[in-house]
Amino acid sequence: MKKLLRTITIAAAATFISVSCDDFVDIDPKYTIDADNFFLSPDDYDRALTAAYDLMQTSYLDLWIGEIASDNSVAGGESVTDTQGLHEIDAMIHGGVNNELRNFFRWMYAGVTRANYIFEFKDNIDFEGKDKILAQAAFLRAYYYFELVKFFGDVPLIVDKRLNFSEISQQERTPATEVYAQIETDLLYAASILDWTDEVKGRITKGAALSLLGKAYLYQNKFDEAAETLDEVIESETYELDADLEGLFRVGGESSPETVFDIQYVGSEGGGYDCFVCLEGFAAVGFHGIREYKGPIYATGNSYNLPTSDLKLEFEAGDPRLDIALLDIEAFKDLHPEVEFAPGGGGHTGFYNNKYLKRADELGAGDDDLTSPVNHKVIRYADVLLMAAEAYNRKASPDDVKARGYLNQVRDRVDMDEVNLSGTALTNAIYHELRVEFAGEGHHFFDLVRTGRAAAQIPGFTVDKNELFPIPQVEIDLAGAGWSQNPNY
Amino acid sequence: MKTKLLALLLTLSLATYGQGSLKGRVTDEKDQGLPGVNVLIKGTTQGTVTDANGEYTLANTTADAILVFSFIGYTAQEIAVAGKTVIDTQLVPDIQALQEVIVVGYGTTTAKELTGAVSVVKAEEITKLNTSRVDQALQGQVAGVQVTTGSGAPGGQMNIRIRGYTTNGDNNPLVVVDGILYPNPTDALNALNPSDIESVNVLKDGTAGIYGVQSANGVILITTKQGRKNTKPSLDFTGYYGVQEAANKISVLNATEFAVLKNETYAGGNEAPPYANVNLGEGTNWQNEVFGTAPVQNYNIGLTGGGEKATYSIGASYFNQEGIIGGEKAGYKRYNLRVNTTFDISPKFTLENVLLYTNERRSTVPEMGISAILFNTLNANPISSPYTSAGEFTLLEDVSEVANPLAQIYNTFNDSKVNKIVGKQELTYKINSHFELTGRAGYNAAIVDYKDFSPPVYYGTGKAMNTLNLNSATGELEPRMKEIATGVSLPTYNWVNEKRTTYLDYNFEAFLNFNQTFNAQHKVKGTFGMSAYGNVSQELSGTGYNVPYNSAKFADISAATGPDVLNTTDSWQDQTRQQSFFLRGEYAYGSKYMFSAIVRRDGSSRFGENNRFGIFPAASAAWVISEEQFFNSSLIEFMKVRASYGVSGNDKIENWKYRALLGGEGVYPFDDQLTTGAALGVPGNEDLKWETTHQTNFGIDLNLLNGKIDITTDYYIKKTNDLLFQPAISAISGAYGAGGNSPYVNGGDVKNSGFEFAITYRDKIGSDFTYSIGYNLTTIKNEVTALQQGVDFYSFGGFGVGGGSVSRMQVGYPIGYFFGYKTDGIYQTQQEIDERGVSQDPDRVKPGDLIYKDLDNSGDISFSDHSDKEMIGSPIPDVIMGMNLSAGFRGFDFSLLLYASIGNEIVRNYERQQPMSNLLTYNINRWTGPGSTNEYPRLTTGNDTNGNYNGVLSDYFVEDGSFLRIKNIQLGYTLPAAISKKIGARKLRFYVAANNLATFTKYLGYDPEFATKDPNVSGIDTGFYPQARTIMGGVNFNF
Repeated sequence: MKKLLRTITIAAAATFISVSCDDFVDIDPKYTIDADNFFLSPDDYDRALTAAYDLMQTSYLDLWIGEIASDNSVAGGESVTDTQGLHEIDAMIHGGVNNELRNFFRWMYAGVTRANYIFEFKDNIDFEGKDKILAQAAFLRAYYYFELVKFFGDVPLIVDKRLNFSEISQQERTPATEVYAQIETDLLYAASILDWTDEVKGRITKGAALSLLGKAYLYQNKFDEAAETLDEVIESETYELDADLEGLFRVGGESSPETVFDIQYVGSEGGGYDCFVCLEGFAAVGFHGIREYKGPIYATGNSYNLPTSDLKLEFEAGDPRLDIALLDIEAFKDLHPEVEFAPGGGGHTGFYNNKYLKRADELGAGDDDLTSPVNHKVIRYADVLLMAAEAYNRKASPDDVKARGYLNQVRDRVDMDEVNLSGTALTNAIYHELRVEFAGEGHHFFDLVRTGRAAAQIPGFTVDKNELFPIPQVEIDLAGAGWSQNPNY
Repeated sequence: MKTKLLALLLTLSLATYGQGSLKGRVTDEKDQGLPGVNVLIKGTTQGTVTDANGEYTLANTTADAILVFSFIGYTAQEIAVAGKTVIDTQLVPDIQALQEVIVVGYGTTTAKELTGAVSVVKAEEITKLNTSRVDQALQGQVAGVQVTTGSGAPGGQMNIRIRGYTTNGDNNPLVVVDGILYPNPTDALNALNPSDIESVNVLKDGTAGIYGVQSANGVILITTKQGRKNTKPSLDFTGYYGVQEAANKISVLNATEFAVLKNETYAGGNEAPPYANVNLGEGTNWQNEVFGTAPVQNYNIGLTGGGEKATYSIGASYFNQEGIIGGEKAGYKRYNLRVNTTFDISPKFTLENVLLYTNERRSTVPEMGISAILFNTLNANPISSPYTSAGEFTLLEDVSEVANPLAQIYNTFNDSKVNKIVGKQELTYKINSHFELTGRAGYNAAIVDYKDFSPPVYYGTGKAMNTLNLNSATGELEPRMKEIATGVSLPTYNWVNEKRTTYLDYNFEAFLNFNQTFNAQHKVKGTFGMSAYGNVSQELSGTGYNVPYNSAKFADISAATGPDVLNTTDSWQDQTRQQSFFLRGEYAYGSKYMFSAIVRRDGSSRFGENNRFGIFPAASAAWVISEEQFFNSSLIEFMKVRASYGVSGNDKIENWKYRALLGGEGVYPFDDQLTTGAALGVPGNEDLKWETTHQTNFGIDLNLLNGKIDITTDYYIKKTNDLLFQPAISAISGAYGAGGNSPYVNGGDVKNSGFEFAITYRDKIGSDFTYSIGYNLTTIKNEVTALQQGVDFYSFGGFGVGGGSVSRMQVGYPIGYFFGYKTDGIYQTQQEIDERGVSQDPDRVKPGDLIYKDLDNSGDISFSDHSDKEMIGSPIPDVIMGMNLSAGFRGFDFSLLLYASIGNEIVRNYERQQPMSNLLTYNINRWTGPGSTNEYPRLTTGNDTNGNYNGVLSDYFVEDGSFLRIKNIQLGYTLPAAISKKIGARKLRFYVAANNLATFTKYLGYDPEFATKDPNVSGIDTGFYPQARTIMGGVNFNF
C-alpha cells in the first residue's frame, strides 16, 4: 500500500514537472487566422476586398460636415453638446479637439489600411479575376485618400503596406499634391481594368472610377483633365438622368440609371450607438429624422443637420427641387393637422433634410435611428454633368456651349428654364445649380471652399484657416512624428 | 478475564486512595468540550490528553500538584489541585491571537511569525453579516480592501480593490478557495455560500507574490469549513428571511411641478407652453410604480465531525433573492452542495477532497445607460399614468427614448443557469518530520445556459426597443421584415436567443515543504513547487424566430417556426495557460527575528515568445521587539515591526493580444445581401510583457493592555509599471475599423500609496457584559506617474448624449479623474455678460446661464479645446473606513457595522436634456430672474438661438460622493443552554438584522456606493441598479 502510494506520488510529481515545461504555455488560438498568414486563395482576396469596402459606410460624417460647415444647415440634435463637434463646426469655432473629425480621420485611415493590406500581399498567388479585385481596392484607397485630403490637406501617404509601431513616428504629412497624384494613379488604374457596368449591385465600376477622378481633378482646378475625363463618362452613354428625382433617394431608386457611385446600405442588421463603424445602415437618415414625430410618411429621429432658410432662398421660384430637398414641417403640418413633433434643443429651423429623412416605410432593424436601408448617393449622373459643365466653363480655353448644354440637361429634368449665359455669369449659374441640385447631399461646403466663395457665404469663416479642418490634436500627439497643425488652428 | 479487570480496578482505586485521583472536563470559549488538550502535572512528564468530549482522568496526583492545561491557540492555564478531585476548566483563546494560523500560500504561519501584510476575517464575522456573497462581507472589515458595487441587482457584480487602483485594466484580486485558483473573483464568490467559509485571508503586500501570476492586485485566500478529528457530529442549521426595499428614491418633479417647469422651459425657447392647465396634482410617481419590496432568503444545513483518521464537513444551502426592481425578473437563486473530507490513508499520507456543486439561476432587467429601467423611470412624464383605462400599459409618447418602464419589465425575459462543479483532490505525503510533499489537482467546470426572448413589443412612436412598426395608414402594428435574399423578406414576430457556454479551469500543483529547527533557535522553512493552470471555454449560440403565440412559454429554438433562412448560429472558443515555479525560504531566529524570501518564475500564454516568462522576487522581515531583553513595558505586551518588498506580475488582459489576428469585422452589402469579408482586427504587439507591481510595505503590530487592544498599522507604496492597457494609437495604424481597437501596450506607470490602521478593543464589564470595538481606516493616494512617450493624457467615458469625454488618465493626477469646466455662479443680467470682459459664446449666452471660469485667462471661454478645463473631481476616495461594534450580555448579542468612504466625487450622468423628460427637483430652484439663484441655471428648450453650453461637463454635474452607511445592524438572543439542551440542541439563537439600514450622503443619486470595473470611468453614474435595504430575521441552530 505504502509503496503504491509512493509510486503514485512520484508519478504525479513527474507529471506536474512535465506539464510545467515551457511548451505548456506555448499555444495557438483555434479556428482563427493570423493576419500574416492569409491570401492563400482567391476567396481570401475577395473577402479582404469586402472588408475594404466596409469603411465607406462611415460616410454619414462626410455628408453632415459638408452641409453643416456650410450655410446650408445647422447641426441640430438634442442640445448643443449633443455631438458637440458638429455644433462647433456649425459655428466655425472648431479646433483640434473634435470627436467627429477624429472619428472621420480614424475611419478613413482604417479604410486605407484595409486596401493597402490587399496590395501588400498582391503577389501571393495568381488567379483569374485578381486584377478586378485590385482595381476595386485601388478605387477604395483613392476614395479614402480623397476624403482625407479634402478635409485635412496634407496627410501621411501610406501605400501598399501596413505600418508597424516603429514606423508610425516616421510618417510625415505628405503634400496634398502627392496624395492627389496617388489618387489619380489609383483611379486611372481602376478605370483601365473595370467595366462600365457590373452585374453585382454595389460593385465599383469604370464609370465610378472616372467620375471620382474627374472630381479629384476639379478639386485641383485641373479643368482640362476634368473635362476630358468626365466627357468619357458622359459619352459612354452608360447613365442618364432619372425623371423621378425624388424617387432617387428612396430604396426603390437605388438601381436608377442615374446612379454612378452609391455607398450601399441595408436595414437587415440591427445596430447600436456604441459602434457606428459597425453599422450596415445609413446613420444620417435616422439622425435627420423629425424629433418626437407622430404622423404620416415620416418617422421619428434625432433632428440633425437641419436646412436653413438661407438654403431655401437659393431656390428659384417654382423649382420642384425645393420640396424634394427640404421638408417645411409647419407647411406639412397644415396639410396633416395630426402631425406632432418637438424641436430639438440643439437647434430648430423648421426644415428637415427631405432627401435623407427617415420614412415609416424605410425602417431598418432596431435601433432604426441608425439602420436606414437608404443608399448614400455619392456621385450621380447629374453631378457628372454639372462637374463637366464647370470644367468646360472654367478651363483655360472655355467651351461655354458645352458647359451650358450639360447645365441645361440638369435643369430640363426638373422643367426649369434653360440658361443662356456664358463666362462668369455662367460660372455663377453653375454654382447656383450645384447648390440647389445637391442641397442636403454634403457637397456644398467643399464646393464653396474649392471655388473660393466660402468666406463670403459662411459666417465666421476665416480665410487661410477654415478651408481645411484641423488635424485632430490627439492624432498629432499619438503619431509623434512632429506634424504641424493646419494653418491658424 | 473478569478477575483481571477487577484486580486492575482495585489497584487503581487503591492508588487513588493513596495519592489522589483527578478528573474533569476542559471546555472552550463556547462551553464545548475541547478534545486533545494536554493536561500535565507541572514539573513532571506525567500527564494525559482530553478525550473527544474534553474529559480527562489523571491518576497519581498529589494534593499540592499544579496542573498545566495547554492547547494550540489557547492560553495555557495553571490550576492548583489543592485537594480537589474534580477540576473543570474553560480555556480561553489565546487573547493575543498570535498563535492564529494564517494561510500565506502553499503553507501557513502564525500571526506572531508573519512577516507580510495579511488581514484575516473569521467565519463568525462573515456569517454575521448575512450577505449573499463573501466579498460583500469583506467591506468595512479589513483595512486596505475597498469593495464597490457594479450593480445592486441580485447576483450583480462587485469590484474588489486591494490597496487602490493598481492597474487601469482588471483590478480584481486573485481568489484562491481551498487551493483552487479563480482568476475571476466573481466566479468564485458567486458560487460560494458565505456560511461555508472558515476564514478569509487577504494578502496585501509583496509577499502575495508567492502566487506570482495575477497576484499583483493582491490575493484573497478562502478556506472552507473542515471537520475536526475525533469530534462528534455537529449539525448546524442557519436560515434567514428578509424583505428588501429601495433604500432611497431620487427626488423628481411631480405632475404639477413638471407642467409649470415645462411651460417655462418652452417659453424660454420661444415656443408655445405645452400645458394650459398646470393644476395636475401629484401625478404618477414612476419610482413607486417600479420599485417594490422583494424577499431574500437563505437556508444552510451543515454537518461536521471526524473520527480517528478522517474528518468531514458536508453542507447544503439554498439562497433566493428577488430584485427590488423587476422582482423575479431580476431574481437570483442558488443551490449549493459541499463535501469536504480528509482521510489519513496511511500514517504518512493524507488525502483531502473538496467538492462543491453549485446551481445558479439569474435573470436581469436592463440597467445602466439609455434604455435602462431606471433611466426610463426617472425621465418618464409624471403626468402620464402607467396604465390606460383599459388596463394596458400607457405608451409614453413625450420623449422618443423613454418607454414605459413597467411595460419594459413585463416584456423582459431572460435567464441564465449555471451548473458548476468545483473540486480538488490533494494528497500530502509526510516524508519525515521535516519534509512534506503535496500534490493537488483542482478543477472548476461550469456549464452556463443562457436564454432570452424578445416578444413583439411596441412602446410608442420611435422607441429604439420597438420590434413592431406602426402602420400609420392602417393604424395596425406590423412585424418587422428581415430581408433574406434580394426582394425576399420574411416577418419577424419574436425571437429567442440561446447560448451554451462551457468553462473548464484546471490547476495542478506540487510542492515540497521543509521545516526544521536547529539548535532550538534557528527555525528554517522552505517551500519549492510548481503550478500549472489552464482554462478552456467555448460557446455555441443560436437564434430562432417566431415561436408560437408570441409567448415566453414556447421560447425555445426547438419551438421556433421561422424558416431556417431566418435563424442564425454562432460560436467561439478560447483558452489560456499559465505555469510557475516558486521557491520560498523562511528563517527565524528564536521568536525575535524572521526573514522570508520568495522567487517565482511565471509563464503566461497571453504573451508572445519575447516576453512570455517573468521572474518575480519578494523579501520580507519582521522583528518582535517585545521579545528583546531591553523591552520592558507594562503597557505593550507585544510589538512587532515588519517590512516587505516584492514584485509581482499581472497578465490580466484578453487572450492572444500579442498577435495580429483577422478579428476585424468587414461586412458590406452586394446585391443588397450582407457579405462578410475578412478584416484586420486589433493590431498585435509581439513585445507585450508583464505588468509589474513593486510594493514596499512597513507595518507595526501591537498588543496593549493585556491583550485588550490589538493594533495593526501599515504604510504601503505600490508602484505599478508597464501598465497593460489599450491606449489610443495613431489613426494611421489603421486600427479603428469595425472589430478593431487599440492594441495592448505596456503604456504607463501608476503609484498607489497609503496608510492602513486597524484597532480592536475588547473588554468585559462584570462577568456578563462583553464588548468589542473594531475600527479600520485606509487612505489611498493614487497618481499616474508615467505614460507612453509623447502622450500627455488619455480620455475616457462620454458625458450626456453624444457629449465629450469625462475622465482622463494623466501624469500627476489620479487615474480616471474628471476633467471639465469650472463654474462661477450664474449670469444674472445681460449687463453682467457684457461687462465681464470674458467672451463666453456671445451668440448663445443669456442671463441665467452658467458662468465658466476663464482658466487660461485668454479672455474667451473656449468650447472647442481643453484650454478652459481642469480637474473637477476624482472617483477615488481619500479615506475609507469601517467600524465594527459588538456587545454581548448574557444571551443577547448585538453588532453594528459602519462603512464610510470620504473624498470621492461622482458625475451625475443620468439626466436628459430632452424637452419633455422629467427633471430632478433641484430644478425647482432654477434661475428665473436676476437674483433668483446663483446656482441653478435657467430652463429652456434651446432652439437655434437659445441653445446654451450649460450642458457641457462642468463641476455643476460633479457631486460629492462621500457617504457613511450602516451596512449591518443585528440583535440576537441565544437561549440558555439549559433550555436548548432539553430539545437536544447545543445552541439556539434567534436574531433580527438590517443591511444598508441608512446612508448619510449628499449625493443626489440612488447609491453613492458604486464603481465600474474599469477605473477610468468608475465614478460616472449612468443610472445603475441600487443596492437594497434589507430587514431580516433568522436563526442559528446547532445540534
